[in-house]
Amino acid sequence: MTSFVLNSRVVQTDQPPGTVLLDFIRLSSGLTGTKEACREGECGACTVLLGCPGSQGLVYRAVASCLLPLGDVQGCHVVTVEGLSEGPLTLVQEMILEHSASQCGFCTPGIVMSLTGFCLASTDFSFQEALDALDGNLCRCTGYVAIRDAARALCERLEGVESDRAVRVATLVELGVLPEGFLEAPSLVGQLQTPEAATTPEGGPPVLVAGGTDLFVQRPEQLREARLEFLSRRRDLDFIRLEDGVLRVGGAVTLESFRLSEVVGRVFPTLRDDLLLHSSTILRNRATLTGNLVNASPVGDVTIMLLALDATLEICTPEGQDRRVRLSEFYRGYKQFDLAPGELITEIRIPQPAPGTRFNFEKVSNREILDIAAVSTAMRLVLAPDGTIEDLRLSAGGVAPVPLFVTGLEPFRGRKPEGETVGLLARHVVEAVSPISDIRGSATYKKLLLGQLVRAHFSAEVLS
Amino acid sequence: MKNVDMQMHVRGTSQFVDDLAAPAGCLHAALVTSRVARGRIRSLDLAEVLAAPGVVAVYTHRDVPGLNEVGHVLRDQPLLAVDQVEYIGQPLALVVAESHQAAWQAAALGRADIEELPAVLDPREALAQGMIHGQKRILVSGDPDAAFQTCRHVVQGRLASGPQEHFYFETQRALAVPTEHDTIKVHASTQSPGAFHRHLAEVLGLPMHKVELDIRRLGGAFGGKESTAVWVVAPALAAFLLKRPVKLVLPRNHDIATSGKRHPYEYDYRIGLDEEGQILAYEVDLYQHAGACADISLAVLGRSFLHASGAYRIPNIRVRAVSCRTNIPPNNAFRGFGVPQGTFAIEAAVTHAAEVLGVPAAQLKRKNLAGDGDVLPFGMVLENTNSGRCWETLDARVDLAARHAAVAEYNRTHTDSKRGLAVVPVCFGISFAQTALNQAGALVNIFVDGSVEVSTGAVEMGQGVNTKIQLVAARTLGIAPDRVRVHTTNTSRVPNASPTSASTGADLNGMATKYACEDLLTRLRRFAGQHLGHDDPEQITIREGVVHLAGKPTELRWEKLVAAAQWARVDLSSHAFYATPNLHLDPKTERGRPFAYYSCGTSLTEVWLDCVRGTYRLESVEVVHDVGRSLSEVIDRGQVAGGVMQGIGWSTVEQLRYAPDGRVLTGANAYKIPDLKSLAPHFAVTLLENSQNPNAVCNSKAVGEPPLIHGLGAWFAILDALRSVRRDKDLPSLPLTPEKVFMYLHG
Ligand SMILES: Cc1cc2nc3c(=O)[nH]c(=O)nc-3n(C[C@H](O)[C@H](O)[C@H](O)COP(=O)(O)OP(=O)(O)OC[C@H]3O[C@@H](n4cnc5c(N)ncnc54)[C@H](O)[C@@H]3O)c2cc1C
Ligand code: FES
Ligand code: FES
Repeated sequence: MTSFVLNSRVVQTDQPPGTVLLDFIRLSSGLTGTKEACREGECGACTVLLGCPGSQGLVYRAVASCLLPLGDVQGCHVVTVEGLSEGPLTLVQEMILEHSASQCGFCTPGIVMSLTGFCLASTDFSFQEALDALDGNLCRCTGYVAIRDAARALCERLEGVESDRAVRVATLVELGVLPEGFLEAPSLVGQLQTPEAATTPEGGPPVLVAGGTDLFVQRPEQLREARLEFLSRRRDLDFIRLEDGVLRVGGAVTLESFRLSEVVGRVFPTLRDDLLLHSSTILRNRATLTGNLVNASPVGDVTIMLLALDATLEICTPEGQDRRVRLSEFYRGYKQFDLAPGELITEIRIPQPAPGTRFNFEKVSNREILDIAAVSTAMRLVLAPDGTIEDLRLSAGGVAPVPLFVTGLEPFRGRKPEGETVGLLARHVVEAVSPISDIRGSATYKKLLLGQLVRAHFSAEVLS
Repeated sequence: MKNVDMQMHVRGTSQFVDDLAAPAGCLHAALVTSRVARGRIRSLDLAEVLAAPGVVAVYTHRDVPGLNEVGHVLRDQPLLAVDQVEYIGQPLALVVAESHQAAWQAAALGRADIEELPAVLDPREALAQGMIHGQKRILVSGDPDAAFQTCRHVVQGRLASGPQEHFYFETQRALAVPTEHDTIKVHASTQSPGAFHRHLAEVLGLPMHKVELDIRRLGGAFGGKESTAVWVVAPALAAFLLKRPVKLVLPRNHDIATSGKRHPYEYDYRIGLDEEGQILAYEVDLYQHAGACADISLAVLGRSFLHASGAYRIPNIRVRAVSCRTNIPPNNAFRGFGVPQGTFAIEAAVTHAAEVLGVPAAQLKRKNLAGDGDVLPFGMVLENTNSGRCWETLDARVDLAARHAAVAEYNRTHTDSKRGLAVVPVCFGISFAQTALNQAGALVNIFVDGSVEVSTGAVEMGQGVNTKIQLVAARTLGIAPDRVRVHTTNTSRVPNASPTSASTGADLNGMATKYACEDLLTRLRRFAGQHLGHDDPEQITIREGVVHLAGKPTELRWEKLVAAAQWARVDLSSHAFYATPNLHLDPKTERGRPFAYYSCGTSLTEVWLDCVRGTYRLESVEVVHDVGRSLSEVIDRGQVAGGVMQGIGWSTVEQLRYAPDGRVLTGANAYKIPDLKSLAPHFAVTLLENSQNPNAVCNSKAVGEPPLIHGLGAWFAILDALRSVRRDKDLPSLPLTPEKVFMYLHG
């Protein structure tokens, strides 16, 4: 049994927890405002708001409902476009209308939800954040000009508004961004029977679902009836802290909370922008760092970053034993890695870099945003006071069966990273790889591109 | 006035086919499709499909009661394969099950024993083997051979442009409901009410009056829902045989893999100019990569052919065009309908020539820009084009010379990055090139309470045609727009309708609406005259819902007038018809006047190129386009922006890859349409001021397709940046993906 609040109604259902929320909304609840246009997280037409109980009340995020298992909304408030449309138009709806930011209308409910999600989650209501919030919502009709205008106008209307999170919902209700019904949501959610974990069919070790953004693209049919364990329920896996020179990240931390974390921003100031190159807001709000590592895609963005950053995984065996593996030793072959069935990654440990360390991430994909890299690479570099290389770590994605940690860089220590040395370094890296031709690009392209991206690591912008 | 549907779109209450409450007992259809690109079918094994959970029935071509045929123009496309397959994804059998999921899962279990034949996937190879659709077309004007002899510069080359997936947000779908007297009602997502109505009746073996096709709105179409009727006819067939409602919703990746695309083309071009850069001669061969069935390809080819001279005055020209039959899913219409391809070749040829002459391409373009009085290769004289005025307006806005200088200066001082720009003039003929299609009907009903309902053959797909029609009706009748409602597109109200395409939706249906309203107005004015005791109806007008006599308001309001007229037995319903006058094209001589008028514009696109990574960003897009006297500026601006962005997508990141066996490899996760962040920071649309157009409704000009051509500016601007780095390579093909850009620079 899964129970949650759908708009302003308490819902209890016996449907399998692996049913995707989108199907429940459209087929079982008859709420057809939420659209399906891809079922793969690529378009944003299915965007809904997911309000999860947190220390400051319900915390709302825009998410793709086509990849969200029903069981994972247990105890939450799910808001569809109908939930925003009970009274007069909301401010977001008004802005879209005013700027004619809708043509066929199929993408529009998703855009309404993402912009509303922006109003709920934004730190400063800036235009840039509004654009970032829409990075997962495609539109084939408008050409986006009107959508951008609507977003800009929305931000202008929100200028100077109190941005304190604790009173966010109340503020937005007052501004007409949210209908009044939102004020009732906490008490409705409070009435729900909230078991620690949603119940799922018995038998066999459960499939661990983190964000589900990989799992529910790969095998949705199979997962519908499978036994699932939802890691988002594990409060003990949701932490980010800096301790004894180690950034400790829990095994269920989402990419977006990592990206926006104040601690992360202090330790790795560039990650905030780098991570915008990973999928889109509606996915990052669910997708986790560990999911990216276990997905074991040779081109996983987080994986490539964490390889260069020398992360170590803390793994809990089914017997309750803890063990540690360095990420650079985790991958063994294509989608082969050092994790036995039933083992859980509880924590990612990232050493805090020495002062003055440079970190750089390069990713080239066909479309800049919401696309898988053709090639990616990350670098962590420590320079000695004389400007020579003291320590250098490099990783490369999309060029080998595994996310590649580049070895054999020791001879470059003590040299200045310029001119011929950079050329030699690039050649060293390129010689270590064996890309294949696929839909992301030809093998030749990937090889040559990697060489260029390695050079880019040592550009003036990075080294300055 | 804004698109009236938006009120509902923002609330999620607008209904698309899959949002209609499913009728009780509704079943779901799916297709078993071929995994082989070309071969003879030995047998189908559907036992596992039939045994799969939830499956109710499985049908093959033997079960088709009528004609097993959905060929749109030629009769060459079976609904369900009979004894041979011509492309991967070709429907072999129809599965009906209790749920959408069950149907598609079962369909995947279908097996076919097929004797494979060598598939042909290359258009030139197909031509060499004599695999073509229809006939080659040749258009000659002037004496190109003699003219080339006199040219100071002759430049030639080879080019290619790729396919483009429509990626309409709403995939192909229909819901069919059997009704009494063995009739059937179909709710479908299609642009072609008349043609699909006929396909449905033919396949079901029913007279057309037993089939009703109703179309509320489409979640985008862009041409992709104009000709391929498979996904509308298939559920109707199942519903008809089972006597139960049946729905088919094509999953996204099936849609991408099996539906038609914008046609890829290959081109051989040769252009000759004199000393001053005047184009004297142009010769081009167009090889259209059409796919396995003719579908609508010959019409698309015809448009490329008629637009081969692009926006330029070319006194001597030879165009050869051929539609190559290859073993991929039949390609079909896509916004622009062949014009983008025809334009691409001439734009590339002119750009290439400018390089050889050592002058900016824009200079050559301006010099050769066609305008009023110029004669097109097929003999039509241009009039009312405003082409020069569009160019000057753009120049005044951006200062082209200064922009050129700025780019040159940037490129002189930068090596790791470059900038590039392109000016693209557009000259796009409006009308269906097939004269017969230029007709439309409208039915206007006035009810006794004064509310008005309009039905036409136009299909609303986000382009705002219903809003424009609503405006035309309100304006003609002299009442407020909110008194008018545009009803669904329904074959029982407006029969035999032409597709909503070729940018003509508002032109044709708006005009028919206007005629019907004028007819009603005549009756009402006559009646009002009598009613007011005045016998000259000429003195009666209706303005803002009030009857005016000799220009002065009377006490008589619209509502009262209507009620009184009805009581006095005046007919308050009118059907009217419009056929665009004076259109003709002689297929033998390829001479005539196939278009009612031309839609012109000019744009400037600027890009920034990262030479290290081979990536690029659009910096600025400035479009000036002539939409005549716009019926709705916001709608037209939206059409321009949306069209340009689709053109940019086609020119840059939209690419589809095929496996060596002809399988489409690219799914939703790799087919990338432009996103919000790829929108240029500066994107401005200027609608040309003071433009009139006597050839279309209320002086407006069509706007759906022509602006897409401006999107080519992205390709040419990137090319400009690339050529500033090196020129020792041939022109790359379209699209210019980051991979191609990188390989051009570093390969
Ligand atoms: C549209 C779209 C765009 C994408 N774009 C990108 C992109 O730009 N870059 C990129 O790198 N990836 C991308 N991805 C892939 C995917 O979203 C990411 O890899 C994401 O980080 C996966 O995280 P998740 O939490 O959703 O994983 P899930 O799907 O929940 O899980 C993935 C795997 O990890 C296992 N797992 C998760 N957590 C743990 C744990 N704590 N212990 C043990 N096992 C665990 C699961 O059992 C499962 O096998 C994209 C996916 C989609 C659908
Ligand atoms: S349906 Fe496209 S993202 Fe969910
Ligand atoms: S309005 Fe049609 S997809 Fe956005």
